Amino acid sequence: MNNEKYLKICELNNYIKSILDQDLFLNKVYLKGEISNFKNHTRGHLYFTLKDETSRLNAVMFLNNASKLTFEPEDGMNVLVEGRISAYPSQGSYQIYVDKMEPDGLGALYIEFEKLKKKLATEGLFNKEYKKEIPKYPNRIGVITASTGAAVKDIMSTIKRRYPLCEAILFPTLVQGRDAAPNIVKQIKRADSFGVDTIIVGRGGGSIEDLWAFNEEIVARAIFDCKTPIISAVGHEIDWTISDFVADLRAPTPTGAAEMAVPTVLDTLSMIDNYKIRLNRFVKNMVNTKFITLRNLKNSFVLKSPMSMYEIKEQKLDRLVDNITKDIKNILIAKDNEYKRLQMSYILQNPLNLIFDKKVKYDLLINTLKHVNPLGILEKGYSLVSKDNELLKDSREVKKEDEIKIKLYKGEIKAIVKETNYEQI
Amino acid sequence: MPEEGKRLKLEKTFENALQELEGIVKELESGNVELDTAIEKYTEAMKLVKFCNEKLNDATAKVNKILTEDNELKEFKTEEQD
Repeated sequence: MNNEKYLKICELNNYIKSILDQDLFLNKVYLKGEISNFKNHTRGHLYFTLKDETSRLNAVMFLNNASKLTFEPEDGMNVLVEGRISAYPSQGSYQIYVDKMEPDGLGALYIEFEKLKKKLATEGLFNKEYKKEIPKYPNRIGVITASTGAAVKDIMSTIKRRYPLCEAILFPTLVQGRDAAPNIVKQIKRADSFGVDTIIVGRGGGSIEDLWAFNEEIVARAIFDCKTPIISAVGHEIDWTISDFVADLRAPTPTGAAEMAVPTVLDTLSMIDNYKIRLNRFVKNMVNTKFITLRNLKNSFVLKSPMSMYEIKEQKLDRLVDNITKDIKNILIAKDNEYKRLQMSYILQNPLNLIFDKKVKYDLLINTLKHVNPLGILEKGYSLVSKDNELLKDSREVKKEDEIKIKLYKGEIKAIVKETNYEQI
Repeated sequence: MPEEGKRLKLEKTFENALQELEGIVKELESGNVELDTAIEKYTEAMKLVKFCNEKLNDATAKVNKILTEDNELKEFKTEEQD
C-alpha cells in the first residue's frame, strides 16, 4: 500500500492552524457571549467557554492579559471579548485566545436567578418563621443526591463516622440536566412521605449551569412544601442557589450538611456527662441547703430557750385579763346610765296621766257606738216592719190581707194589711 | 419488616431517654422540687444516664441504604467501600 498520501494527524492539525493564523479576519475578532465552565488555573491562565443560545467556543486568556482584567470573571457572566482565533493542534480544536475582555451587562441566567429570588422572597418563602428546627438526634436521614460522585460519599460516610446510631437512606436523583429538577422534586416528596427525621438535598460543586436545577422554581416550592426539615447543600461555600434560601438550613458543602444533620457520639457522650455532673451538683447543693436550714432552725432563739415562749404568752394573758375587766366595767356603767334615764322619764313620773288618757278615748268610743246601734233608733219612736222575717222597704212588697210584723222599741205587733199605697216620698 | 420495627422502637427509646434526661435536669435546676421528689428524680435521671451511655457505646454502625425506584430498601455502598 502506498503510504505517501496519508497524513499524520499532527500534520493536518498544523496545516489547519497555519490556515487560521494566516486569515486576517480571524487574527482580530470581537465576540460577545456568556462565560461558563470558568477555570482559573493555578499558574494564572484562565480557561473557559464562551457560548450563546446555540453554540460554544473554547477560550483561553493567558496570564499577561488576564492580569489586566478589571473584574472577576465568573460563570453566567456576559462578556465582550477581543482576540484571535487559532487551533490547538494536539486537541484538534480551535479556540479564541483572548487579549481583552469586559463585562456585557448581567448574564441571562443571573437575571433569571435574581427574578425568581425576588419573586419567592416577596411571597415569603424565605421567611424565618417557616424555618423548621433540625432534629438534634435523628434516627433516619433521607439523602437526596446523585448515587455516584463525591457528594453522596461525603454525606453518607460523615453521618456514619459521627453518629452511627443514625440510618442514612439515599433517594437517588439526577442533579444536572433538563430532567434533574422534576427528579429532585419527586424524591423530596418520596422522602417526605417515607418518614425520615431530616432530609439533606444537594450535590457537589460545578458550573452555574450544573447547579441550575437547584435554582428551579419547582424545586424551591417542593422544598418549601416539604414537612420534614431540609438541609440544602449545593456546590461549594460560595455557591448560593434558590434552594439554599428556601431550605430550613443551608450547609456550605455536602460534608457540612451531614455535620449539621447529626451530632457526634463523643459530643453526645460528653453532654450526658455534663448532665450527670449537673445532677450530682444539684443533689449536693440541695442536701447542703436543707442541712443549713435545719441547723439554723436548731439554733433559733425559740428552740434554744423554750421558756421565753411562755414568758411572752404570760404577758399577753395578763394584758387580755386587764382588757376584759375594763370592758365589763364600761358595759355596767353604760347600762346603769340607761336605767337612770328611763326612771327619770315623764310617763313613769306621772302614771295617772296614762289612765286619764285612756278614759277619755273610751267614753268617745261608747258614744259613737250608741249613735250607730240600729236599735237606738227604735228608742226614738221609729219601728221596723217585716213580712216573713224580711224587713219591708216598699209598700209593693205586700198585698191586702198579708200578715206583717211591727217591731217597736219595746214589744211587737202582728197586723193585717188593709190597704197598700205606693207613692214615692 | 418486624425486625425493622423493633429496631426503630429501640432507637426511639434512646432519643426519648435523652429528652427525658434533659427535662429532669432542667426541672431540678429550676428549684421548684421537694426534697423527696428530687431524690426520686435524681435516681431516675442516673438510670437514664447509664442507659444512654450504654446505647451510645454499644451502637454498631448502621448500614447505609438506598430506596430504589421499586420502593425496595437495599444496602448502599459508595464506590470507595467496594
